[in-house]
Amino acid sequence: MDIIKLLEQLSMQNGVSGFEKQLSEFIASEFRQHCDEVQVDHFYNVIGLKRGYSTNPKKIMITAHYDEIGLIVTSIDEQGFVKFSNIGGIDSKILMAQEVIVHGSEELFGIIGAKPPHLLDESQAGIAVKLEDMCIDLGMSVESVKAKISIGDTITFKAYPTELKNSLYSSKSLDNRSGVLTLIMILEQLKGINHRDDVYIIATVQEEVGLRGAEMVAYSTKPDLAIVIDVCYGDTPEVSEDEAFSLGKGVALGVGPNLHKGYTNKAKQLAEELGIGIHIDVNPASTGTEAWAVQISRTGIPTVLFSNPLRYMHTMVETLSIKDIKATARLSVELIKAGVIN
Amino acid sequence: MLDIIEKLTQAFGVSGNEANVRSIIQDEITDKVDEIKVDTLGNLIAIKKGKGNSFKKVMLVAHMDEIGVIATYIDKEGFIRFSNVGGVSPYCSLGQRVAFQNGTMGRIFYERKLESLKDLKLEKMYIDIGAVNKEEAEKIVSIGDTACFCGGFELQNGMVTSKALDDRIGCAILIDVINHFPETENEIYFVFTVQEELGLRGAKTAAFSILPDFALSIDTTDTGDTPECKAMEVKCGNGPAIKIIDKSIICHPEVRKGLQKAADTIGVRVQYEVLEYGGNDAGAIHTTAGGIPSGTLSVPTRYLHSSIETISLKDAEETASIVRELIKGSGLH
Repeated sequence: MDIIKLLEQLSMQNGVSGFEKQLSEFIASEFRQHCDEVQVDHFYNVIGLKRGYSTNPKKIMITAHYDEIGLIVTSIDEQGFVKFSNIGGIDSKILMAQEVIVHGSEELFGIIGAKPPHLLDESQAGIAVKLEDMCIDLGMSVESVKAKISIGDTITFKAYPTELKNSLYSSKSLDNRSGVLTLIMILEQLKGINHRDDVYIIATVQEEVGLRGAEMVAYSTKPDLAIVIDVCYGDTPEVSEDEAFSLGKGVALGVGPNLHKGYTNKAKQLAEELGIGIHIDVNPASTGTEAWAVQISRTGIPTVLFSNPLRYMHTMVETLSIKDIKATARLSVELIKAGVIN
Repeated sequence: MLDIIEKLTQAFGVSGNEANVRSIIQDEITDKVDEIKVDTLGNLIAIKKGKGNSFKKVMLVAHMDEIGVIATYIDKEGFIRFSNVGGVSPYCSLGQRVAFQNGTMGRIFYERKLESLKDLKLEKMYIDIGAVNKEEAEKIVSIGDTACFCGGFELQNGMVTSKALDDRIGCAILIDVINHFPETENEIYFVFTVQEELGLRGAKTAAFSILPDFALSIDTTDTGDTPECKAMEVKCGNGPAIKIIDKSIICHPEVRKGLQKAADTIGVRVQYEVLEYGGNDAGAIHTTAGGIPSGTLSVPTRYLHSSIETISLKDAEETASIVRELIKGSGLH
């Protein structure tokens, strides 16, 4: 498997929360190469099943969300400039002077313009512009803009995926396409392994707007153990060390009331035995991940959280280490081998 | 449709106390449906049975409850302190009349020492029921009693104004669909929900009990057509709004397509709604039991959550027409 190529393919495709249909097909086709069964549900959650050898199998569910943050068209003004709102958490500061793709009846390149510094008076200079005051310039007449774009069309960021030194990689939507890559790597590794439990590998939708896909699949899958794979904060200047983890040193293993102690300890023990690098990621309440929704589905589901540390989260230059993705995939496979505790 | 809108909007039905509204609806529809029941939370569920053996189960939802206030404390002079039930603005409450379920009338005013209205909060306000002391007040109002805002019904220039159009207009539209029910094979669940304003609570349990193939909520939405308001494309009188997104849901593409197709078939102009705040019953429904494709058709409404909520009657009538057309077809899935 060409990991870098697959990560580039995953990150460069578009699937803003609630508009994942197109990307679901790509992910389903990747899953089909490794799974016994693949289903795409009504909301485009992609559910792959890799059967275990047991005649009375338990179920392990592994989720990673594949939706991405983005923008949505709210209006088109008389000159054809497009106004927009956000889907998912976006700091408006990162939007100025960026390139975007508007997903109308066709894909249209646009730019979010910025007022020249010469024209800013003292009260404006250095002050962040509000999202509602920005607009997208498509370089098109108002008539053609209105013919090709509707209220409610989504907008994604143009990114330039780049390999950096020391196995680091930078692109958009690594939150959480890196998790989807992890899922595919897990599937590939499971090929050579005789595992007892049924493994449901699920790429979920609508995480960025409230963990909605995870809520659906946790209910419909009804697993005995859930592993959630997402990203956490990578080490960055001005982010405190207890909140962020250095890149390239392994999996961030979530601990706290949101997560199951027994399985989390098991994962920690396996990592130590096998020399897989881990960080301990302390979450006093919600982990802010799908684990929060999965844990309280039906009568309760034991849930663990593995995160890939990621710098510059929710920007076009999200950066992580390929080494960490490998570690996360490996630890997941080891936990699958250990199986559901009866 | 006007008579029933007036009857429904003028009824008392603060979240958690929807019985009056429910009994008006029961009187209207009981003879016209195949089955009708009230569930544990108080949702009213009416069923028009499906035909054949390949019909779809369709859940249509409108909420019965309205925002209001709740008495929290009565002082020794007989003034009542209160809190909000649902999203209540202190500014829209100022100088308003409120009515308790037993008919007791109150007036809302604020502590006159307050220097700036910018600091106006509900805890600086009170309800005056004209009682001379605590003892007299307690004879007619108890702590925990709720009151609705008073806001008379009127029709002028095709616009209807009243309190509680959010979401009695949705209830009126569903009743209209029952009264003029189209030929359809589908099994239609008309669900009049409770406690939407407290967090989409009735719809959640109703959806779990029905497990429909798809759900449509009929509710009100904000507009961007009043002086110096927050920018929004939806306008009163420009037709029903197919919701794309709010804070509770991203409407399912198949439901949106179905609504668009139904509107096109009958030649009704629709608008697209991107609401940057708020939620609606479809939000609670769509994540239920593994996921239920859901959407919302909204009636554009000015001055939401005030005593002068205002809609265009034509928008409401056209909303009913689209719903009728939608449930005829098997266009979804």
